[in-house]
Amino acid sequence: MSNLPQDAGDPTGRYVRHPNGHVAPMSPFTDVWRWHVTMTASILFRVTIGAATVGAVLLLGWVAAVASGPEAYAKVLACSASPIGLFVWFGLSLVLFSFLLNGTRHLINDAGQGLDLKSATLMANIAVWGPLVLVVLFWVVLFAAGKVSL
Amino acid sequence: MSAAPKFKNHVKISERHGAGEWKIEKLALLALMPLSLWVLWSAFTLAGAGYEAVVAWFGNALNTGLLAVTAIIFFLFASLAWKVIIEDYVPAPSTRTTLINLANLVFLVLAAASIFFIVRVAMGSAPLPAGV
Repeated sequence: MSNLPQDAGDPTGRYVRHPNGHVAPMSPFTDVWRWHVTMTASILFRVTIGAATVGAVLLLGWVAAVASGPEAYAKVLACSASPIGLFVWFGLSLVLFSFLLNGTRHLINDAGQGLDLKSATLMANIAVWGPLVLVVLFWVVLFAAGKVSL
Repeated sequence: MSAAPKFKNHVKISERHGAGEWKIEKLALLALMPLSLWVLWSAFTLAGAGYEAVVAWFGNALNTGLLAVTAIIFFLFASLAWKVIIEDYVPAPSTRTTLINLANLVFLVLAAASIFFIVRVAMGSAPLPAGV
């Protein structure tokens, strides 16, 4: 890895010359790591915030439709009840569950709690997999209650 | 040249923004957790609801108030969260500042639009576009 000549006194081969000319050890451990579920949870929270922003805009459109009277609302309801519309709402409810569980995990970790390996892994697993379970349950109940139908 | 550093409990206070933005972001997220549960409950209530049922739901001041509060806090949180995301991925200072300002403007407009529509529905105003 070293781009220095051997006579520069770099027996480890881990020294690098930075763009500003300084010679310094390569950052340690940047090439020694493995995937952990906490990384998935962290990335998914960012994805969730992006998706929630899109969801908020769609909800704003829904409120705008209500404010635009019965005809406009009927059109939006028809779109929502179509298979593609139901798929979009399914995705948005998944985002909502993810926001709840992952947001709670984030708040607990931000408070300095649950940062030991066991708790962090458990909370990350809940934040990653919990929304998938809850959203299926939510929609099973919605269909069972006859609120939505295909 | 610069002012002498200030201390609080023997800890140096930041010379710039400090932790203010971080704290506001966390408080907004904390407030959004119970509000999200309420949104979930409302989504269940309003799923597949017709126009009359939705207007009746908006007739409840608690629903309208909570929806308005949720919209404001969510867009506040979104502007701070997107600021962090932009800062992480956009290295050029000028582009970064432009994008952050643009995001803030968009979220401000979205929050204002939310309140506008919510208030109109809650007041039972004439369907939009009104007075054309």
